[in-house]
Amino acid sequence: MSEKKEVLRVGIDLGTSRSSISSSNGQRHVVESYVGWPLDMVARKVLKKNVLIGREALDNRSMLDLHRPLEQGLIKDGSEKDEAAVRELLWHLLSLAGADRESRDGLKVHAVVGVPAEALRINKQQVRKALQDAVDSLLIVSEPFAVAYGLEELLHTMIIDIGAGTTDLCVMNGRLPTEEDQRTLTQAGDFIDDQLMRLTRERYPEARFSIHMVRAWKEEGSFVGSTKTPVVVTAPVNGKPTQLDISREMQQACESILPSLVESMLDLLTRVQPEYQEKVRNNVVLSGGTGLIRGLGQRLEAELQAVGGGKVKVVKDPIFVGSDGGLSIATDAPEGDWEKLTG
Amino acid sequence: MAKVDRIKRQLLRDLVQQNVDLIEGRRPRPKPRHGSLWLGLRLAALALVSLALFGSSRLLSTLAEPGPAVAAAAHPGKKGAKPTLPAPAATAFAGFAAPRPVDAAIFPLAVRKVVIDAGHGGTSVGTRTPQGVLEKALTLDIAVRLKRLLEKDFQVVMTREADQDVSLEQRGTLANRAGADIFVSIHLNWIENRRSRGVETYYLGPTDDPYLTRLAAAENRESGYSMADMRHLLDRIYAGVRQDKSRKLAEVVQGALFHSMHKLSPEVADRGVKAAPFIVLLATEMPAILAEVSSMSNEDEAQLLIKPLYRQYIAEALAKGVRAYAQGGEGAPEMVAGEKGNPIHE
Repeated sequence: MSEKKEVLRVGIDLGTSRSSISSSNGQRHVVESYVGWPLDMVARKVLKKNVLIGREALDNRSMLDLHRPLEQGLIKDGSEKDEAAVRELLWHLLSLAGADRESRDGLKVHAVVGVPAEALRINKQQVRKALQDAVDSLLIVSEPFAVAYGLEELLHTMIIDIGAGTTDLCVMNGRLPTEEDQRTLTQAGDFIDDQLMRLTRERYPEARFSIHMVRAWKEEGSFVGSTKTPVVVTAPVNGKPTQLDISREMQQACESILPSLVESMLDLLTRVQPEYQEKVRNNVVLSGGTGLIRGLGQRLEAELQAVGGGKVKVVKDPIFVGSDGGLSIATDAPEGDWEKLTG
Repeated sequence: MAKVDRIKRQLLRDLVQQNVDLIEGRRPRPKPRHGSLWLGLRLAALALVSLALFGSSRLLSTLAEPGPAVAAAAHPGKKGAKPTLPAPAATAFAGFAAPRPVDAAIFPLAVRKVVIDAGHGGTSVGTRTPQGVLEKALTLDIAVRLKRLLEKDFQVVMTREADQDVSLEQRGTLANRAGADIFVSIHLNWIENRRSRGVETYYLGPTDDPYLTRLAAAENRESGYSMADMRHLLDRIYAGVRQDKSRKLAEVVQGALFHSMHKLSPEVADRGVKAAPFIVLLATEMPAILAEVSSMSNEDEAQLLIKPLYRQYIAEALAKGVRAYAQGGEGAPEMVAGEKGNPIHE
């Protein structure tokens, strides 16, 4: 085997809903975090593939043993199939970035992967195990830290990263965040989906819709506070496509994450040294796909009034903010350090 | 710019070290704290505020989601913490909903309604971690998480949803009046050997074990019953079919709990399914268990318990157990659709 010389550095954001990769060769890709294997020989013949990933898997789900292998930002516990799905997802991301398993000879891959802020040691070890054959060296970081690093918001900043599985909060004090500086809440995008599903079912019991439809409705029309445009969706009722006004349900579902989010934000703020609290309050960064809920930034600013006011900046393109941050870390880490991270 | 670069270099050094520690299986190194005086003052202030608010639901809401509250850092838990439960005025014996024999003909039935009992609450604080986090706050947090997990498939009734006093009698009466199918009481253990970590689950039954007798006496202190009263009541119920159902529920929940928690921390031991005369179990008319879901006396376990994600794992393990019981002959399989095989919940 030839000695590997060329190095590809990548940042990977393994998300419950979407996973993204940013690579030092300029490639950036995002895929939906779904992996599916054909259910039988017929399905394999039709699909002409042994494994399908992302949107392609979702679109052909009726013929697949479909897995969404990450739950609350972590590999699902106890399922070999989900572990295999994570490996497939990672290999897929790497191949999109130009490091597929067949033509990897001579290419070293240094990867930075984000995990939820309060991931336990065992979770990090699971990620390391899943990636051990796919990359040469691996650095695991907390997701909000990767976001902060990528945005260079390293001092007197609070990052609120709301994804599908988790909401991560992290105060950056110019040092590596400790447990006291971070929080992970399990009320995030998926929680909103569940609430929206339940509330819509209660109001329109005769309507038929799936969680995938509910997710699409949320991505289109989520809001907190008030909206001038009603949220109207289409779903079959007794087989007939029917328009349903779900504005009230959408608002309730989106606002269901607010109590714990606001409480955690204010609690973390009280833990900041008093002379820096105002700076942190005025430098709150809201990222993640669920962070794009209309009106959420303003609502958090309104809640900050209770402690003297503050400013919330919403990251406009949250899809790659985590993986770009990971790539920044991968680029800045000296080569000597990567040699320590091969285990 | 130079300042940012300096910060980045330091962050990268720390990050790499943290990862090397993970690879080599070392525990995270304690970080030098900036502003430790501030932290000390803040903790002291928190302790004072907590004392002032003791018993209010506001305190509990602070404790519940974002992390632990240091309620009384100066008084770490110790052996006997459970026996220090305050004993309220004796409950009138007649006020207790008398246990009725259960007719086996009514089984098997679907599990539709689950009562979740968050142990302790209000003036009954339970035990506490060495850091001062109270059992009553942790049990409520886990109970609320469990409720969220189960309410998609079951009707869920909580015996308390805030930091409030609810007597053992009231808990049982509430479950009986709700027509619950099963009753799950959540507690956290204090084990004399503080190196021990484990989970155990109880169902109602007699015991000859002096430790369990002491534990039950401590947990039952709020009820106002004497042990003689207890024996009288127990004689009427031990032979019932409910005991078999309760034992089965305990076995399934204990299995799920141990399987999940042992995977997270291999040191967590299976302390087994045990019978003990807990009043809260006696007061109920349906299959009922009391799960000791963690050991607050163990330093590592106490550190984990302050993490919301760990409490979520415990809730998920309990939910897994309840669902498995519901599926195992007594339950309606359609209620757990989506849990097996394909993980996509439609």
